[in-house]
Amino acid sequence: MASIIRLILWILIIVSLVGLPLIFIILFYLPLPPVNGDVLTPYLFLSMMVDPTRTLPILHFIIHTDLFKVAVFPGFAFAALLAAVTIFVERKFLAKMQLRIGPLYCGKIEGILQLLADGLKLIAKEIIIPSGADKPIFWAAPIAFVATAAAVVALIPVAPGWVVANVNVGIIAVFAILGFFPLIALLFSWASNSKYPFIGGLRALHQMIAFEIPFFLSALSVVILSGSLNLTDIAKAQHPYWYIFFLPISAFVFFISSLAELERIPFDLPEAESEIVAGWLTETSGMIFGLIQLGSYVKVYALSALFVVLFLGGWAGPQIFPKELAHGPTAGLMGLLTLQGVYNGVTVNAIFWFTVKTFGIIMLMLLPRGISPRIRIDILLHTGWYKLIVLTFINMFIALALIYGGILGPGGLLTAH
Amino acid sequence: MEKNLEHQIDESEKLGMQIVKESEDDRLMTLSVGPQHPGSGHFRFTIKVDGDYVVHCDPDPGYVHRGEEKMCEYRSFIQNIPHLERPVIHDSANITYSYSLAVEELVGIQVPRRGQFIRAIASELDRQIYTLYWLAIYGIFLGHSTMFMWPTGDRELFIDLMDALSGARVTHAFNIPGGVRNDIPDGFKDKCLRHISYFEKRLKEYEDIFYTNPLFIQRTEGVGILTKEDAIGLGVTGSVLRASGVPYDIRKAEPYDVYNEIDFKVQYMKSGDSLARAYVPLLDMKESCHIMRQLLDKMPESGEVRAKLQPTPKGPPGEAYRRVESGRGALGYYIVSDGSPKPYRVKISVGSFRNMIALPHLLVGSKLADMPSVYWSLNYWPVEADR
Amino acid sequence: MSQDPKNKPVDSTTPSQPPPSPPAKAAAPPAKKETEVPAFEKGLVSQIISRFGDDKIKVAYIRPLRMKVNVEPLDMVEVATFIRDNLGFDHAESVTGTDYPKDNQIEVIYQLGSYSKDDIAAHILSLTTRTSRDDALLPTLINVYRSAEYHERETFEMLGVYFEGHPRNERFLLPEDWADLPPLRKEFRIRGR
Repeated sequence: MASIIRLILWILIIVSLVGLPLIFIILFYLPLPPVNGDVLTPYLFLSMMVDPTRTLPILHFIIHTDLFKVAVFPGFAFAALLAAVTIFVERKFLAKMQLRIGPLYCGKIEGILQLLADGLKLIAKEIIIPSGADKPIFWAAPIAFVATAAAVVALIPVAPGWVVANVNVGIIAVFAILGFFPLIALLFSWASNSKYPFIGGLRALHQMIAFEIPFFLSALSVVILSGSLNLTDIAKAQHPYWYIFFLPISAFVFFISSLAELERIPFDLPEAESEIVAGWLTETSGMIFGLIQLGSYVKVYALSALFVVLFLGGWAGPQIFPKELAHGPTAGLMGLLTLQGVYNGVTVNAIFWFTVKTFGIIMLMLLPRGISPRIRIDILLHTGWYKLIVLTFINMFIALALIYGGILGPGGLLTAH
Repeated sequence: MEKNLEHQIDESEKLGMQIVKESEDDRLMTLSVGPQHPGSGHFRFTIKVDGDYVVHCDPDPGYVHRGEEKMCEYRSFIQNIPHLERPVIHDSANITYSYSLAVEELVGIQVPRRGQFIRAIASELDRQIYTLYWLAIYGIFLGHSTMFMWPTGDRELFIDLMDALSGARVTHAFNIPGGVRNDIPDGFKDKCLRHISYFEKRLKEYEDIFYTNPLFIQRTEGVGILTKEDAIGLGVTGSVLRASGVPYDIRKAEPYDVYNEIDFKVQYMKSGDSLARAYVPLLDMKESCHIMRQLLDKMPESGEVRAKLQPTPKGPPGEAYRRVESGRGALGYYIVSDGSPKPYRVKISVGSFRNMIALPHLLVGSKLADMPSVYWSLNYWPVEADR
Repeated sequence: MSQDPKNKPVDSTTPSQPPPSPPAKAAAPPAKKETEVPAFEKGLVSQIISRFGDDKIKVAYIRPLRMKVNVEPLDMVEVATFIRDNLGFDHAESVTGTDYPKDNQIEVIYQLGSYSKDDIAAHILSLTTRTSRDDALLPTLINVYRSAEYHERETFEMLGVYFEGHPRNERFLLPEDWADLPPLRKEFRIRGR
């Protein structure tokens, strides 16, 4: 009982002494939209405590600012949240496959708060830098890793109109950014000044470079079919049939190559635990390790989302959410409850289907971890350089045949009009 | 600090020791797959690699050397059992079995028949426990975490049985010279048969899921081939020997206790590569299930389980050499007695130490990426080799 | 067949008797005469004796499945080669050293077994030799039995017996900074006992 009272006391103190001044500071400096013809002054803003319907335009405005798009949705916070959920689901899923339980004790239901506990632990750990290590690169590389992963996330459209950076050469930009990862791995392993990271970094370099070519060759077939490099247009062009039906081999090659890019089992040579301790991650500890894990799982989300956009039609799916919550404009309390002006049924539906599909692909990526040993480096390189490239060429010819055969493409039989 | 290290190096060089020296050739990189390594257990071996090929390999055991043989000379015959089982804690019923046989020969004890059967059952159970653990770690070495989790989980079946028998999950201290410490509890036989039937189904699953995995086969087939002549000349033992085409099993060649009444086949394969060395323990486990069923069947219903002995038995001066087939291979004890209650000299000849010589022989010329697959397939238990 | 522990034939070499040991068939100090020496093992040993002569080969004991033969250090390589090529014992299971301070000698014993011949698959022939404690020097048998390499190295570090011709007479199991007596010698006492 005493602890609850203490909690309430602390909340009151913090809200009144910190929260309210902060709101005032923000309100005075943010450019605010006009509401019902009036300029929104802070005092008008605070009047929403009396008339809640005034919050909706502000909400609408905030959702469409750039900051929101970059930081929250569909940007970093959304990606990080999905990455966190992925980590937890991976541990549980893998545990069920291996006849065990996984995290159980943190949090009342089946260990839900395990990630929070792990994050706090990593923050509190000491970061040990080996002697002779190249300090600037040692510190910069994990941050660059996360930043690059986030940059890939920035290019992927989640719903029509909801993309952080709507670049006309979207696919090429994605692959250009992905080309940074082997560089980061190599720099970090070199900066660690130790033998095992060195071997691991070289292996990471070999692996990622070997699989980049099948990666974008398989994406090339999609570009041929859709006729555009813009990711939003590619997603829109997959109506009514998704590209995976026409390009199954390409989808398969894309999936395998993304497993290799993500260093997931069976391609986790660069971190092969039993041979080279932890590969290029050997010298990471504490928050550096945490950052690399975060970046790794954000990359998982990014590449799965890319797969969904390229092959599974992006956000396409049956409309299960009502387009509008109320018929015609409403005012007052009903307007607030039906989120007038903020709720857009098409967008919500798009986000829902996109998340479901991405999550499905992520689960598919988690699966090989439980069923397969690690591949050997020479078999890996052989696969990447010979077999996968041949498969992508086969599918490219299929794509070209479909276009010139008049089945897809402009004026084709199966293109929607 | 520097001076101290130099002094230590001088001292050791006087004794003819060689610390891991970096190679002068620039192209070779010296890697120490050291005792603190997730890929080696408590065992260091230094390898020099040229790119991805291993050029030189030098095993350096002794990280967990405890002086077992010296310690035996300070304790009486029965007092030696608890520390002698520490080299292999989960296969302890085999490492003390051989010791008990040798002491019985020296002192002149006859073990009652029911005790012999219970000893054999414990030995087979421990063989399963050890082999499952070995299989689990082989999975980890190849990066297959499910191949670690499933055998470790199924191992609990047998550890449970040994717990019921002896009171301890590992390091049972169950065998003593003269028999076993206590009789089996009620309901043990049914529990054992239930566990064995469940486990036989699981073994089939292991074979279907793990051993037919194309990546597993790719990593182990044709890797580290040990020919039959080399295997015999190098004196390897156990599953390594049987995987190279020599059907030698001490339970068949020199049956001890009641093994001459048990009908079983010696499992062996001819190819001698890592895949064969991974298969033979699986086949051994299947065979062990048959053996256990027969043992449970043929065991006399009642009887003494240990011979009556003085607390410190002693025998006339002499020596004895007895061997037992353990999870790693032939485990032999050479005991010299001088008529006193404490042994004069105990020498333990363990399968791991004998198989160690195959490691440089197989690794030199192979790839670094094959190193875990070759190393662990030699059925090497570092703690036992160090004694 | 299982070993019957009650059947203990005569040992003619015991740790407390002075060296060298008399031949097995002589009725030297044994207290009781047990069952006769097994024929097959006797046949194996007599092959060695007939090749090298009674004076060079001293038989310590012949029991069912176990034979022990004592030779001089200089004859070790020859006898071992003969045993490997003619009798069929193709590998050395272990190499042991025992310290006998009363005789001022160290006995090194090679346990030889056979994988290739079925009739001697269960037999162990122990080939032993003795050398003085103060200057323990023996020829190496790794050119005859490759499997003895690490065992001889361990015997070197544990007992101080130098094997001539062995490429690495070095520390093996002991820690890098070991600066004490070879541990298996009797004058090395474990601390506290």
